[in-house]
Amino acid sequence: MSKIYDLAIIGGGPAGYVAAERAGAKGLSVLIFDMRSLGGVCLNEGCIPTKTLLNSVKVLEYAKEASKYGINVENISIDFKKIMLRKDKVVRKLVAGIGVKMKHVHAEVVMAKATIREKRGEVITIEADGQEYQANRLLVCSGSEAAVPPIPGLDITQILTNREILQLKEKPESLVIIGGGVIGTEFADFFNAMGTKVTVIEMLPEILTGVDEEIAAFVRKEFVKKGVEFHLKARVTKLNGKEVVFEKNGQEYKITGEQVLLSVGRKASVAGIGLENIGVEFTPRGVKIDQNCRTNVPNVYAAGDITGFSLLAHTASREGEVAVNHMLGRKDVMRYDAIPGVVYTHPEIAGVGLTESTAKEKGIEVEVKQLPMAYAGRFVAENEGKDGFCKVIVGKKYREILGIHMVGGACSEMIWGACAIIEAQLRVQDVEEIVFPHPTVSEIIKETIFQF
Amino acid sequence: MAIPVLMPRQGQSVETCILGEWVKKKGDTVKTGDILFSYETDKASFEEDAKTDGILLDIFFAEGDEVPVLVNVAVIGAVGESVDEFRPDSQAKSPEKDTQAAVAVAKTVSVPVLNTNFESSRKVKISPRAKNAAERVGIAYQHLQGSGPEGRIIERDIEAAAQMIPKLTPLAQEKAKAEGLKTGETTTGLGGKAIAKDLISYNQIYGDDFEVKKLSNMRKLIAKAMLTSLQNSAQLTHHMSADARKIMALRKKFKKAFDAGTVSQNITINDLVCFAVIKALKKYPQVNSHFIGDSMRWFNKVHLGLAVDTDRGLMVPAIKNAEDLSLEGLSAQLQAIAGQCRKGNVSPELLAPEAASFTISNLGNYGVEMFTPVINLPQTAILGVCTIVPRPKDLGDGVYGFVPMMGLSLTYDHQALDGGEATLFLKEIKEQIENLEI
Repeated sequence: MSKIYDLAIIGGGPAGYVAAERAGAKGLSVLIFDMRSLGGVCLNEGCIPTKTLLNSVKVLEYAKEASKYGINVENISIDFKKIMLRKDKVVRKLVAGIGVKMKHVHAEVVMAKATIREKRGEVITIEADGQEYQANRLLVCSGSEAAVPPIPGLDITQILTNREILQLKEKPESLVIIGGGVIGTEFADFFNAMGTKVTVIEMLPEILTGVDEEIAAFVRKEFVKKGVEFHLKARVTKLNGKEVVFEKNGQEYKITGEQVLLSVGRKASVAGIGLENIGVEFTPRGVKIDQNCRTNVPNVYAAGDITGFSLLAHTASREGEVAVNHMLGRKDVMRYDAIPGVVYTHPEIAGVGLTESTAKEKGIEVEVKQLPMAYAGRFVAENEGKDGFCKVIVGKKYREILGIHMVGGACSEMIWGACAIIEAQLRVQDVEEIVFPHPTVSEIIKETIFQF
Repeated sequence: MAIPVLMPRQGQSVETCILGEWVKKKGDTVKTGDILFSYETDKASFEEDAKTDGILLDIFFAEGDEVPVLVNVAVIGAVGESVDEFRPDSQAKSPEKDTQAAVAVAKTVSVPVLNTNFESSRKVKISPRAKNAAERVGIAYQHLQGSGPEGRIIERDIEAAAQMIPKLTPLAQEKAKAEGLKTGETTTGLGGKAIAKDLISYNQIYGDDFEVKKLSNMRKLIAKAMLTSLQNSAQLTHHMSADARKIMALRKKFKKAFDAGTVSQNITINDLVCFAVIKALKKYPQVNSHFIGDSMRWFNKVHLGLAVDTDRGLMVPAIKNAEDLSLEGLSAQLQAIAGQCRKGNVSPELLAPEAASFTISNLGNYGVEMFTPVINLPQTAILGVCTIVPRPKDLGDGVYGFVPMMGLSLTYDHQALDGGEATLFLKEIKEQIENLEI
């Protein structure tokens, strides 16, 4: 008789491997399937490789600007191959690390595409590589794919998505990026720094939808200074191989790139995993879950990009944890009010909570204060000739912190503090009591809050 | 020789007791068996009596102090004897105690009190230990159901209540307080805290579809007086009715005279009833009185209180020495004082509950047929005057007819008066009304 696992997990990304780790640590017998590589998109073709590449940009920037700090660096050159090899090394190391974690918690890893077959009583049957596995609980976190819009002439073999662009062996001379979201903007930053001529085509009036508009515009202007070309309110109408045809202000433009990156969003991977075989409710946009990350089918949970919203690795991990906590009977619910959003461009962007415009959409009366990053001494000391700002949004009536948004410096590293403030629903007077280390850039949060 | 009084040991596990109340004060003469003070453990309350005769020379601990068992709490002896040798080593202890108190204060968690601003005048039975605990963690103990003897709130009730209160985020606390919300069944915040979204209205039916109106001071006073009355007296009401033919005829006669200008006052039915009641009170002085716990005040004169309805609420001004007034004089004063109440320039002394010796509340004009007026403590009774309704009456010789009858509702404090006395008094009023001669 085959073993019945306490929990089967489909997808070894940030939702799946974190859930496996937590569940395994609590003594559940865990089985985890992944059809590519543990770590999912995040580790293999998203967060981690791109951050590795962007760090090379940071080092390059330092080298170029070293003289400002009294350090003279000469003969700066870029070794694209080496940059890409280092990225592969980092990814390999972290993927291997997940494998070790799975061993630690005695989670069984099956590297194969899994399909849900049936649920009979409590027992769920999953098939992978011609073999059947059984479990009492199931967590579906099969993630997402790069969305491919129906643009005439779009030939997926000729253009790149985040997956293929990370496998480039040679630096392209020119790159056309369709979609100025987080993925497009980060690749624009990297390739522009590498010396590639980068053009970004964005359909909306501003890049980085969801980011505070003022911050997005600030970053775009910084990019323009560095030579990135932007076409806003521009709609791609046709592709002829690597020639991108787009319409802007009623006029048609054509631009050809040595490479073309398609980064117009992501689509939940709901098809082909057998959700329908056990009656899980889902739409092409994603699987429906409740605040405990449960689907409509008892003991079947979903987490991560497959839910179709808040497609972020840290959302996924937290959802995975919420699902496991619910299985274990620990009171825990998924909250989306304090999910940070970070863009690792130069300058970095980090924000959490409501922006001015989302507050307005929701009809919430807010007050906003803003301070230049230069109010934090450490920023001035370490960012010669650089700029940035911090913006804080508070509720008008109770002065609770509703949003904190920053651009400049390494603000990604301090945004978690802002998340904690919002999660805890602290008010202006509460944050005023927190001690911030001095001198750090994080003091900008306290300084801005003291403006209220 | 002076003898110390020890904090007794109640059971082997009890190490400290809370001093409840000192029945005897420093300097009091005490006899063996006299109760000196009450004290309690976390489970029960006890009393300690004197084991010797003498003077209570000194007391070492105050009410509410936590005292280790078998420690001297007081000394009994003869005047002039030294007590110093019995003084517990309080010098060393008190600073430590103070520090502990300071720490406790610093640790106080601000937990919003989700109750209404209901200011209860009822005595809450709570042990000092529980009270300390409640104040430390911020529990509104006034509404807790105690599990101690006679529903007394003890420490474990406070602990249980503290467990029940969900932790709220700062925003949720402020919002709950400002909007009168409470935590719902589920909390979804960090670490199980209740966030603003988890707050629900007290009522699922009407939500927040109401307006909170602050009470005027006047309303607060009335509320307090009424509740105090019902909670602190043994009141009940007898109803009777009086044949109103005579009084109605008198009213008619006076109205005619007033219209003709032969009397200065428009004498009302109420004036006539008041006049009749004063006469009845003179025959039953025990009703013209105040009940003040262990004694009563029987008044030599009738100081008549009259309930007056004003825009600002109910007022009960008194007419001093009402029995000395003629009907016209009484009428004039009643009219004047009611006017002052409505205008708001009545003297506050006349509004004090102690000002009157008996009160009349007349709802006859409003068509009320019977009611149970509430005594204005410390008065012992109040007469409710009701509307006049035709009732069948034996007119003699087997003849029955409808006669206008005036309802009379006498509420009295059974602590002060017995049913028989009250009934006789009420019957006297009836007779005075039926046979009023001016």
